[in-house]
Amino acid sequence: MAQVTLDNLAFRYPGSADDAVRGLQLEIENGEAHALLGASGVGKTTLLNLLSGLLAPTSGRILMNGEDVSALPGNARGVAQVFQFPVLYESMSVAQNLAFPLRVRKFDKAATAERIAYVSEELGINELAHKTPRTLTLFEKQLVAVGKALMRPDISLVLLDEPLTAVEPKIKWRLRQTLRKAQEDLGVTMIYVTHDQTEALTFADRVSVLAAQGILQTASPKALYESPEHEFVGHFVGSPGMNFVPARVLQVDAAERIGFRPEWASMDTQGSLRGTVTRTRVLGARGGQPYGLVTVATEFGSVSVRAALQVPDASVEPGAQVSVRIRRYVAFSAQHKVAEVELV
Amino acid sequence: MSSRFFQQPVSLSRWVLVGYGVYLLLPLYWLLSMALRSNADIVGEFSIFPSAPTLANFAEIFSNPVWYQAFGNSLSYVMINTLLSLGVAIPAAYVFSRYRFLGDKQLFFWLLTNRMAPPAVFLLPFFQLYSAIGLFDTPLAVALAHCLFTVPLSVWILEGFFSGVPTELDEMARIDGHGFVYFFVRIFLPINRGAIGVTLFFCFMFSWVELLLARTLSGASTKPIVVVMTRTVSASGLDWGVLAAAGVLTVLPGILVVWFVRKDLVKGFALGRVS
Amino acid sequence: MSPFPLNTKWLKLSSFKPKDNRAWLGVLPVVLVIAFSAVIPLMTVVNYSVQDILDFNTRYFVGLQWYQETLNDPRFIDAFVRQLGFSATVLVLEVPLGIAVAKGLMRAGRAIPLVLILLALPLLIPWNVVGTIWQIYARPDIGLLGVAVNAMGVSYNYTAEPLHAWLTLVAMDVWHWTSLVALLAFAGLTAIPQAYYQAAELDGANKWHTLRYIELPQLRGVLIIAVLLRLMDSFMIYTEPFVLTGGGPGNTTTFLSQYLATMAVGQFDLGPAAAFSVVYFLFILLFCWLFYVSVVRVDE
Repeated sequence: MAQVTLDNLAFRYPGSADDAVRGLQLEIENGEAHALLGASGVGKTTLLNLLSGLLAPTSGRILMNGEDVSALPGNARGVAQVFQFPVLYESMSVAQNLAFPLRVRKFDKAATAERIAYVSEELGINELAHKTPRTLTLFEKQLVAVGKALMRPDISLVLLDEPLTAVEPKIKWRLRQTLRKAQEDLGVTMIYVTHDQTEALTFADRVSVLAAQGILQTASPKALYESPEHEFVGHFVGSPGMNFVPARVLQVDAAERIGFRPEWASMDTQGSLRGTVTRTRVLGARGGQPYGLVTVATEFGSVSVRAALQVPDASVEPGAQVSVRIRRYVAFSAQHKVAEVELV
Repeated sequence: MSSRFFQQPVSLSRWVLVGYGVYLLLPLYWLLSMALRSNADIVGEFSIFPSAPTLANFAEIFSNPVWYQAFGNSLSYVMINTLLSLGVAIPAAYVFSRYRFLGDKQLFFWLLTNRMAPPAVFLLPFFQLYSAIGLFDTPLAVALAHCLFTVPLSVWILEGFFSGVPTELDEMARIDGHGFVYFFVRIFLPINRGAIGVTLFFCFMFSWVELLLARTLSGASTKPIVVVMTRTVSASGLDWGVLAAAGVLTVLPGILVVWFVRKDLVKGFALGRVS
Repeated sequence: MSPFPLNTKWLKLSSFKPKDNRAWLGVLPVVLVIAFSAVIPLMTVVNYSVQDILDFNTRYFVGLQWYQETLNDPRFIDAFVRQLGFSATVLVLEVPLGIAVAKGLMRAGRAIPLVLILLALPLLIPWNVVGTIWQIYARPDIGLLGVAVNAMGVSYNYTAEPLHAWLTLVAMDVWHWTSLVALLAFAGLTAIPQAYYQAAELDGANKWHTLRYIELPQLRGVLIIAVLLRLMDSFMIYTEPFVLTGGGPGNTTTFLSQYLATMAVGQFDLGPAAAFSVVYFLFILLFCWLFYVSVVRVDE
């Protein structure tokens, strides 16, 4: 288990004109479940490879427990990785696969068997011990791959590279849940790299949102949702993302734009934002009344609002003229947060 | 990728590759070196490099009809074989890749077994058969005989590639209103240029190099280069220089062919199935 | 290299292919050509193998007599044993060497296309020229190898000494055919996703572990094809040894094909030659069956 620090980390591929990643500054606690969330192409894979030792940084440092490991290969750093598809030794049984990282380090048979039993129990793969990968489902294989990564008792860091990619959508949640529980029980520092916000937000203690400019914000899922430091974070996190309108809509001078979540606004005749309903989507019922997501076309673009779909004096249907009242917002200047305001 | 992983110090594998490369090149160098020497040079004192390099041996080949006709004879049956093999294998491979039909698996297997037949077994019957129908001593005879091996191989390779071309292509062409012939000639074959190139390479490779059948089925007028060279050896008064020069010239077509299909070479060697 | 292992994405197209017996039109040309080139001659051979043919008009049915004679013929058995020895030797040498060369090629970077062409060269040389190259190369008087070995104190002469003839033949075959194994293995290696190597490195595996637990299992299909191809082709070998040693000294390097060729063409003993041919072919068909079975397994 290790505390991991990225100190002004940068990397440029040979022959490339620009840095693939630069100015990365991040501190991850020992035993933390951390997620790196970002769209494809922003440098997630590069960062992953820097952490795993496959690439050496062009500048900056990587520290583990305070020690500079930038020049060490992954094996010497005590890093294990789970890949997008299950990477196992196909000619060995599950038990032999699990035993391999310890066998290589000359652990004795008893200690190895004990550790295998412990990890298998944790992940629920005891019955698979004598099977070969060929006979397993993708889900089971990926569990074994996770198990293999957790085998070393002194593992510093486990990297997960979009580990749910190959698993069927219906059981992704099971793998996610198992991972989370294992991480908590074993107290292993895990860094989970993904472009899927659901995976990131449900797995991690803290999430770093990665964009082309670098890490935009590192915070708990709740904080990312409620207090995005950057417009992109507000937009990327949440489904649907944050709505943005010019600050003058609410006569806020000290900012350029304001962002609000669908549930921070309501349909109200006293709203300062007028528009036409283009679409409604029922989400459920509240107090016997249907409510849902209403998309309103305004002069500043489309906004989504969570509201009851039947208002006393008007019906909320496509084509209806409505006004939206914003009760809570985050103000941004030059895309950075300047204030969080809650109106009464 | 400035991957530390691949920057390990020069390993055993690298030495093996270099060593094997040298092992491959030395005999080839020696062939070339012999081809550039006069007989006096060869018979005289041994030296690693030719003491007075000369193109006389090559001149002999280009001027002596026995030699250059032999090259022509070889090239002609190789070309006939290649055209013939591709001509029958392409439709067969297309059909194998697109349809199931009665006996298709068995037929495919039977085709492969022919690749496994020792040429020596066919010596006698080929000789009698071709003599009987008057094909003996024609390039067609050798070309047909070689088909025994080149056709199954061609079908096998082409089928592997054709299977990888999505059937949507066929459907799109049909929807666009094109007839089958148009689709096949103007769309399907051009897309599979690489596959056809690789198959061509293999047909050439087998037909150009084979001796036993080529010798058995050739008479005086169609003597291929492989026979002229062998007979030169068995006669006394060996002309090593000219022999070596002929050898060098037989390697050249191979180099040309592989140069043209170099990009598809690896894929073809994996027979389109394993990789 | 692919990010995903290709074998998990390989679709079995056969289940999606429509059934249409008109497809026979497409394979008809192939069937005709092969029937002419193979079936008719083979029938002839089988026909001859059970007859005693004194001349064109005088022939008697003798049943399996020639088969019995052939299988008990000491010269046949000798040639067969020699053939087995030769095939086993070259296989044991060519397969590991081919894999090693392929592994080296993986790390050759920009030189790869050039090395590929170099590797392909021996495969494109007429087989008699291969024999001629080595004939010249190994001669003790004018050959680079011959002179070099003799200069090191060994009185090397491949035409006089059976052991030297064998060694030279084996060296020649390794020179000729290892490239085939190497190219096949290379194709197989390039298909291994990089993640496997990465995972092994993080596990702490060394090069031998990587070879044994990742590369060889993934190369299994390719290697089966390579081994069977080499086994079969080495069993049929004729030209190269014929040119290099002529089967000698004596008949110490006379393998099956040469023996058959001598019988069939030289002596006009059609019956026994035909029986020999059938036995020879049947044995290779056995290999063929193994080959087909393993190819089908690769597909799965």
